Amino acid sequence: MNDQAGVTAPRNQDADNVELPRGFLTAEDTVLGQGFLRDGYVIQPAADTDALQKIRASVVILAAEHLGIADPGDEGVFLNAIHERVTIADLNAMRLAVYNGVNAEPWLREAYFDLARRNIEALVGNELAMQRRVNLSIQLPNDDSSLLPVHTDVWSGDSPFEIVVWLPLVDCNRTKSMYLLPPGPNRTVSGRLHEFASQSAEDLFHAIEPDVEWIDIRYGEVLLFAQSLMHGNRVNLEPDTRWSMNCRFKSLFSPYADKRMGEFFEPITVRPATRLGMDYKLPGGFE
Amino acid sequence: MLLAGGFRGYIASRPVRGERMPQQIQNLVIRDYAARSGLAFKLSATEYAMPGCFIMLNTVMEELSTLDGVILFSMFMLPGDHAARYTVYDQILGHVCELHAAHENVSIRSPKDIARFEDILLVDQFAATELPEAV
Repeated sequence: MNDQAGVTAPRNQDADNVELPRGFLTAEDTVLGQGFLRDGYVIQPAADTDALQKIRASVVILAAEHLGIADPGDEGVFLNAIHERVTIADLNAMRLAVYNGVNAEPWLREAYFDLARRNIEALVGNELAMQRRVNLSIQLPNDDSSLLPVHTDVWSGDSPFEIVVWLPLVDCNRTKSMYLLPPGPNRTVSGRLHEFASQSAEDLFHAIEPDVEWIDIRYGEVLLFAQSLMHGNRVNLEPDTRWSMNCRFKSLFSPYADKRMGEFFEPITVRPATRLGMDYKLPGGFE
Repeated sequence: MLLAGGFRGYIASRPVRGERMPQQIQNLVIRDYAARSGLAFKLSATEYAMPGCFIMLNTVMEELSTLDGVILFSMFMLPGDHAARYTVYDQILGHVCELHAAHENVSIRSPKDIARFEDILLVDQFAATELPEAV
């Protein structure tokens, strides 16, 4: 049995106990990194509140336009109660309208990056590739048509070198949020995943359900998590609608998987030395 | 509050027939097929990347009672094992559903359609994919 499968090296859950090479990381970055390896995620305040407000305001305006609402009123109330204005049958059309609209904004991706720039640099690096489209999830109460079965992004073609920056546009808790399987149980289940070969993702969820952690997070915070850990969502049993966005970041020159440069990722912080290197040609003509 | 009916897409995150196809393109092919065929498309399930793993296909099979059918990006995403494929066919037809393969533009709507599917899959297993060198 491959008991190392799915492990984000080094052994995540032992990060508190095993002395990892610190290199020249700052004390602040070391603490953040240890928490990330131990728990599989960190929650931090959004670093740029103007960017956060701009993103949410744009989402609200686009949703209101799609629904023909002139004055959406309080943004948080509008988003939380959107299920009173849209049916499940019409939900995906609204989601696509907002998703396409907000992604058409030339400022969106940089604003999104600015929400967690410092933390992304601490966890991933300072020369980065970013997903080209920022995803949008809307989960109405009791709607089972928009569920994401248990998965890791790596199982769906992403590189284990990526992290996800997950942004709640409303307060999210319990089933209104997403769940994540912590690194320890994730390693255990990954090692015996083949035992689920003839079963479904639903069976897999039931096996991990006692160990999953529901992410409680408020609007104004960002979640950075290891997408190589099992995660997903369930039917939202809370009274309000969940709105969240997510986007992947990776070190520019770390390995890519099925989600490749250009079609899925784009460089965002290419440094001068890299530009010099990519342009360099060794003098030739000696042969 | 489940939205009943429709055709669930099924895409790969590992090579199909040894070739990699971006998921975005797989979904475009499926959406185009669905539109041309008048089928109501439902967002695709993405099979896990591990070779030989069909957990997401199993998940889609469990969903058949709420679907009209499944649209594979390619028929070559089906299990290589003959018995496992027939289990899929039986489940599809047992739920009075349809199985479509968008890239190959073929479908299974009744038991007699299975032979056509299988002929293509079996011949592909044995047919050479490279021409002999010229003598």
